[in-house]
Amino acid sequence: MSMRRRRSIFDLMREYMEEIENLADEMFERLMERPSWDVTSQSLEPLCDILVSSDKVIVTADLPKVDPESIRISGISDDLIEINAKMKVKVNFEDLGVTHRRGEFTCFSCRVPLPVPVDISRAKARFRKGILEIILPRKVGYEIKVE
Amino acid sequence: MPNDWEIKIVEEKTIPEGIEVICGLPDVGLVGVIAAAHIISKLGLEEVAYVETDLLPPIIILEDGLPKSPVRIFGNNSIAILSSEIAIPSEIVSPVVRRIIDWAWEKKVKRIFTLGGLPVPNRHEIEKLKIFGAASEDSLLKIIRENDVEVIQRGFLAGPQALILKYCSEKNIPAIALLAEAFYNYPDPEASSVVIQALNKIMGINVDVSELIEKGEEVRLAMRDMMRRTQSELARMRKSHEYDIPGYYIK
Repeated sequence: MSMRRRRSIFDLMREYMEEIENLADEMFERLMERPSWDVTSQSLEPLCDILVSSDKVIVTADLPKVDPESIRISGISDDLIEINAKMKVKVNFEDLGVTHRRGEFTCFSCRVPLPVPVDISRAKARFRKGILEIILPRKVGYEIKVE
Repeated sequence: MPNDWEIKIVEEKTIPEGIEVICGLPDVGLVGVIAAAHIISKLGLEEVAYVETDLLPPIIILEDGLPKSPVRIFGNNSIAILSSEIAIPSEIVSPVVRRIIDWAWEKKVKRIFTLGGLPVPNRHEIEKLKIFGAASEDSLLKIIRENDVEVIQRGFLAGPQALILKYCSEKNIPAIALLAEAFYNYPDPEASSVVIQALNKIMGINVDVSELIEKGEEVRLAMRDMMRRTQSELARMRKSHEYDIPGYYIK
């Protein structure tokens, strides 16, 4: 009779974490395998970064050549924001040294999924040195009293 | 596991012995890549060699319709600059850097400089960027300090700069890493200009950086896709280790 080793909770947790990591890698790779530009909407996807702290989420985006007055940030839901910004000048492929593609770009546009829910109504944003910084307070949950 | 011998440095032109080598490999803020491209352009350096290996992704650079390796060396009689136009996959950074350092040893290079960035989370709030340095041997630290570059006393270094210092130290090749405060995830031409200014002083060259600063927005726009690809390799290299505080120690 064969003996089956019972897997510990730690084995199960490790397997689960590995599965999540592989899935995240796969999703990231898939996201990379598409252009960072869209000729139809004449838009470029900006480089973005997300930092989560205990009380807020900070989203930054690199927006070179953007007119600061044109930046629009919309809250789609409590964990999804949209950034749109017009560029001061049109940029085409040839300006970027590419001669075998056609199309020009007039704006930056992207949707940023947030890892935790935020209170969009209390969000603040500023634009410095071509970097947009959006500070979004995290949603406050129920407070649990310590006896 | 890839072997060093699977990587070749193919010299298209004669590269003299005893030259100085500058490395600008993809890393945080693409500081080294941008600096290398600017120096190559300003000094009018021509392609003298390239890295040939099946370990790199199946990608070529087309220049005037002809295939080129994405990892190339540009130079003249006294300087050789190594740079890459693609993000180097994290799993082959070690063998590629090791082969380059072996090649540098065979060429009896005088010194190796590696240019890069030191990631700082509040980079967009910093007006005047600081520059830091590290070296493969003690005597070089004096040179670093004499040229107003602060030596990193203690901390972690990850990625190409770390390996260049490590392998150069093993082979007794003098190597200096010049690292300016930089964005982690965004191309940072301003940081590149700071690194070039320090290099100008140490090497006694005169590469003008005004154009790099003026055209900063264009550079950021042009380097967007390379930065995007490099980001994922940086994560795999555990680059964020550089933020870590080393454990307690007794001097």
